[in-house]
Amino acid sequence: MNRFREALREASTLLVVAAAMGFIYTAATEKGVFARTVPTVPATGPGANTPQMISGDEVWSLFQTGSALFIDSRHDFDFKAGHIKGAVNLPLKDFDFAKSPLKDVLRDQLLVVYCDGAECNSSIELAVELMKKGFKNVRISFGGWREWVEANHPTEKTP
Amino acid sequence: MKALLSNSHLVLLTRVFLGLLFVISSLEKIVDPASFAHSISNYKLLPTWLPMTAATILPWLELFCGFALLSGIFIRGSALLLSAMLIAFTLAVISGLLRGLDISCGCFTQDPAAGKIGWMKVLQNSSLIVLSLFLYHSNANRFTLFSYVERTSREDGQPS
Repeated sequence: MNRFREALREASTLLVVAAAMGFIYTAATEKGVFARTVPTVPATGPGANTPQMISGDEVWSLFQTGSALFIDSRHDFDFKAGHIKGAVNLPLKDFDFAKSPLKDVLRDQLLVVYCDGAECNSSIELAVELMKKGFKNVRISFGGWREWVEANHPTEKTP
Repeated sequence: MKALLSNSHLVLLTRVFLGLLFVISSLEKIVDPASFAHSISNYKLLPTWLPMTAATILPWLELFCGFALLSGIFIRGSALLLSAMLIAFTLAVISGLLRGLDISCGCFTQDPAAGKIGWMKVLQNSSLIVLSLFLYHSNANRFTLFSYVERTSREDGQPS
C-alpha cells in the first residue's frame, strides 16, 4: 500500500509538470487549444496549400454572383473555340505569370480554374501554381468545360 | 518471479526500451497536437472539448515518463502512469475494433500510412502493459540517477 501511495505521489507530480509544460508550450507556439483558428485544411503536410475542388452547382452560383474570375487552363485553340463567358485563358503549357493578365489582380480575388473535364489535370496544376504566386482563394471546377457546356451555361468564342 | 523483479539488468533493459519508445513517440505528438487530437477524436469516445486537452497534456506526460524511466527517477510513478495510459489506449482500440471503426491508431505516429487499428495493436499494447507493470513491481534500483549520486557522494566522502 505504501508503495502504491508513493507511486501515486510520483505520478501526480509527473502529471502536474506535464500538464504545465503542455499548456505553456501550446500557448507559446499557438498550437492545439491555443491555435488562433481551427484549420479546415492541415497547416503543414500534403494537405497544405491545396486549392479546393468545387462542384458544377457551386461553379454556376459563383458565376451568377460575379464574384469569381474564371481561368481556363486549356490550350489557346481550345479556348478560342469556346470558353466560359468572361474567362481568361492561361494555358498551363506555357504558363508565364509575369506576362499573364493575372499579375495585376489582387491576391484575394476568388479564382475558379477549369480545364476540359474531370479527367484533365491542368486545372489542378495551374491552381497550385497560382496559389504559389500568392492567390489565397483558388477553386477548381471538378467537371470543367464539358460539364459547363452540358448544363447550357453561357459560353463565348474568341474570333 | 522475485529473482526476475530484482534482476537489475533486466529492469534496466526494460526501462531503456520503454523509456526510449515513449520519448521518441511523444515528440511527433508534441509538435503537432492538432493531429493527435484528431486521432483521439476519431475514436468518438470523448466529448468534443476533451481530445484537444488530452493532446496537450498526454504527449508531455509520455515524454516525462520516458525520461523518468531512462534516468531512474520516479520509476514507479511513471510505470504506474504508463500502465494506466496504455490500458486506456488499448481499451479505446478494442472498443474501436468492436464498433468496426476504420481509423488509424495515432499511437506512436500520426502518419495515417502507419496503418489502421487492429488486434495486432491490442497485442502490442498488452505486451507494453506487461512491461510497465513489471517495472512497477520491480525492486532493482541499480543504474538509476539516485544510486549514481549516492555512490559518488559515498566515494567522495571516503578519505583518500
